[in-house]
Amino acid sequence: MQIQGLIDAAVAEVGSVLLGKEPQIRLALCCLFSRGHLLIEDLPGMGKTTLSHALADVLGLSWKRVQFTSDLLPADILGVSIYNRSDASFSFHPGPIFTQLLLADEINRTTPRTQSALLEAMAEQQVTVEGETRPLPEPFFVIATQNPVHQSGTYPLPESQLDRFLMRLELGYPHPRAERQMFQRKRTSGSERVVLKQRISHEQLQLIRTQAAAVHASDNLLDYLQRLVAYTRSSAEFAVGLSPRGALALLDCARTWALMHNRGHLVPEDLQMVLPAVAAHRLVPAGDYAGDGMALVELLRREVDVIRA
Amino acid sequence: MKPDQQVPRNALVWIIISLFTLVAPHAERLPLWVLAVYLFAAGWRIMVYQGRWSFPGRLVKTALIVAGFSGIYLSYGSLLGLEPTIALLLTAFALKLVELHRRKDAYVLLFLGYFICITEFLFSQDLLVVLYSLFNVVLVTTALVALHRPGEHQFNRKTIRLASILVLQSLPLMLVLFFLFPRIGPLWTVPIKSHTAKTGVSDFMRPGDISRLGKSDEVAFRVQFDGDIPPQSSLYWRGLVFSRLEEGAWRSLRYYDIPASERRPPPVAIQGEPLGYQVIMAPTQQNWLYSLRYARPVTPGVMSSADYLLFSPTEVEDERLYRVQSWPDAVLDATLSDWRREIDLRLPAGENPRTLALAAQLRARAGDDAELVQAVLEMFSRQAFGYTLEPPLLPSRDQVDAFLFQSRLGFCEHFAAAFVTLMRAAGVPARVVAGYQGGEINPLNRTVIVHQFDAHAWAEVWLEGEGWVRVDPTAAVAPERIEWGLEQAMEGEGSFLSDSPLSPLRYRGIAWLNTLRLRYDALTWRWQSWVVGFDRAEQFRLLNKAFDGISARKFMAVLLASGLLVLGPVAFTLLRKRHQHQLSETDRCYLRFCDRLAGAGVRREPGEPPLVFAARAARELPALAPGIQRISALYVQLTYALEPPADSAALAEFRRAVRQFSPPARAAAGS
Repeated sequence: MQIQGLIDAAVAEVGSVLLGKEPQIRLALCCLFSRGHLLIEDLPGMGKTTLSHALADVLGLSWKRVQFTSDLLPADILGVSIYNRSDASFSFHPGPIFTQLLLADEINRTTPRTQSALLEAMAEQQVTVEGETRPLPEPFFVIATQNPVHQSGTYPLPESQLDRFLMRLELGYPHPRAERQMFQRKRTSGSERVVLKQRISHEQLQLIRTQAAAVHASDNLLDYLQRLVAYTRSSAEFAVGLSPRGALALLDCARTWALMHNRGHLVPEDLQMVLPAVAAHRLVPAGDYAGDGMALVELLRREVDVIRA
Repeated sequence: MKPDQQVPRNALVWIIISLFTLVAPHAERLPLWVLAVYLFAAGWRIMVYQGRWSFPGRLVKTALIVAGFSGIYLSYGSLLGLEPTIALLLTAFALKLVELHRRKDAYVLLFLGYFICITEFLFSQDLLVVLYSLFNVVLVTTALVALHRPGEHQFNRKTIRLASILVLQSLPLMLVLFFLFPRIGPLWTVPIKSHTAKTGVSDFMRPGDISRLGKSDEVAFRVQFDGDIPPQSSLYWRGLVFSRLEEGAWRSLRYYDIPASERRPPPVAIQGEPLGYQVIMAPTQQNWLYSLRYARPVTPGVMSSADYLLFSPTEVEDERLYRVQSWPDAVLDATLSDWRREIDLRLPAGENPRTLALAAQLRARAGDDAELVQAVLEMFSRQAFGYTLEPPLLPSRDQVDAFLFQSRLGFCEHFAAAFVTLMRAAGVPARVVAGYQGGEINPLNRTVIVHQFDAHAWAEVWLEGEGWVRVDPTAAVAPERIEWGLEQAMEGEGSFLSDSPLSPLRYRGIAWLNTLRLRYDALTWRWQSWVVGFDRAEQFRLLNKAFDGISARKFMAVLLASGLLVLGPVAFTLLRKRHQHQLSETDRCYLRFCDRLAGAGVRREPGEPPLVFAARAARELPALAPGIQRISALYVQLTYALEPPADSAALAEFRRAVRQFSPPARAAAGS
């Protein structure tokens, strides 16, 4: 009960600023607990920044934000060595990446060069500047946001880069009731933002992570996972199926999800709940398939039965 | 539309191709506008595919249906009967293409395609038709295969190869069914072939009727003799006997013209070895069959008439195979009944005065009847009578006079009619016989091919002590017709098959072409005697031979056993495959639980996991909620929380819970 209570409190805290988005908040938490980076894809003004900021507050993490533009260079993120006249030496000035939670806003507006610098850091938890390798703080999360790619002046992330994000979420327009509530709420003065209370300490985060790894996955469940994965690789609707990394990501997230719901074992529901967020951006539809990744996930969920018939 | 419902481009191409190959053999029988509908439908569907036009709306569809029905009605004058029905089916088939929207529609269309394949057999069971249908089956199957290969954009050979393999694999089953499937008679009859022109000898004869047949190269029937083939000049295939002359036409006796005592053929004394042969006749839509005299049918269902002819109780609508034994030397009607004599001497009163005078003159000169016959034949051969395929027209009255004394040019029917008239006028019972004479011998399989142009008419006279004797006046005028056939007889005139310049028979001089034609004919013989002739009786005979006497029960056993032999191995492999991932006991129990819930009206969706399903079911059936929750929780516990071997106590509890779970049926739950 302890963990579920913690999480419910955290979700409620974030939910107080991001109205009516509980499922997305839960998934985002699940992603961070699973040591993954999160990609939020949506139009401007949907609450992407609010969500990431709220998450940082609730987890008590240091937070920095980089607005990606087309002239941003890798050094702008990673940091740079500057000559110090007083002691005649170069000293390293760390970039904004040296933080626990980095919000990479509109990642697809910058050039592939800068994108890959960030993605490398995400994969390796360390940056190498001028021959010196510097570790990034622990925990280290990246929440990247992206405009839908059909907007002009963007450099869409290639599939191989998308794979580095554990989850991709879409926030979507709020529910009319939630939106009305937002309108009715008194604006806090100026641009000051509401600072949320920390609900999960670093120790608790660590605990969640170790316990998630211990969630039991039975043979029957692994069997279901394998059938899901096999279907994406053999069926004609898929041009690219799930990679082993994708399958592992699915399993990790499902484990965290089970733990978040206070279960010591995995059930198919866990896999199905995280499936759209984890798998949709990794699946590529075949040329003449009309649907997108989401339609593929839906197809997958429907076609592969929980019980092997 | 869900993407898995789309019709892939490749499949659409195959569907349109097979649509056209399916309608092609029907083309010559269909009104032209039906073919236009095919082009129109295909064009429309292609425009839809390209996104330029849209699918027809309900109003347009209704209009098309009404137009289709009225078009058929206007073209055929009826919606009933075989040809209008098939035209309707084919029109609907084309129009269905215009609303080919989802995969489901494609299935309907393609299954209809298989059916349309069969309809061609209603008109012909020729070997070529069978091969063509097989080709069509492959095409339709290809379209079906393509329907399931959405990923393939290229028009490729793999699809048609797979379809061919599938069709080939089905051939053994087809053969088993062909040999063993019970030949059940039709449960209803269709008015068949309303528009087919009847070819062949008709049931009356006017001057010019048979010479018209002389221009047709169609095959009337094929014959295979058990022993040697008799000489050409004795091959008189009797089909009809014409005893009545009414309204200028020779007609056969109607059944009710014959007094009851005369309706059965009188007994005939037979001697010597019979001539055995087998005939395969092309469909005539008539019911008389052809045989050499004196014939007795071997095949059941073939009957003999009072004139020693064979006939079938039903019209010959398909290729018909029958076996006959003939005794050419048997004496027919050793004594002639008074009724017969009266019928076979009757002439229309007051007609042909010059012929009657001639007959009286000849009668006075001749000694007995046989001499009279000789005298008339001599008259035909000595005087300037000419044999021609293009005889001049005769006046409607006194035709025999006009022929004997003015035109003197005629075909066999003119000579036969004149001869019989003379004989009757002279007091000798005589009648006209119509049928075929001679035939072409195929050296490859020793069959005699009788063509329509072998149609012939001759006479029979009754002589004291000899019975009915065949007399062929044509033989006196043009002996080469009887010895060599019509082609030789018409060599000077050049009228042989003058209307069909492409007939292969005209090019018999070209050796390889002739061999090819004869080879194909031999193949047709085999096809017809083995496949078309394989009817109920033949099937029974074969099974009898193979199993040493057969009963209905034994027959069923054979049918089942052979079905098992073919399907057994398939079923075995399939079952074994299934066996490999057999369901666990827990899963089976759970599925039983799902079945019961489905009975109560809540069905598990495909892919729906147990807890989600349990929540939904509990919401929909609140009365059963505790049971549903408990069973689902137990199932999840057993399947996902514990490692096998499962705790036997938990499993037992789960089984008990499922057994005790009995939701009321849907009706009760709904009330």
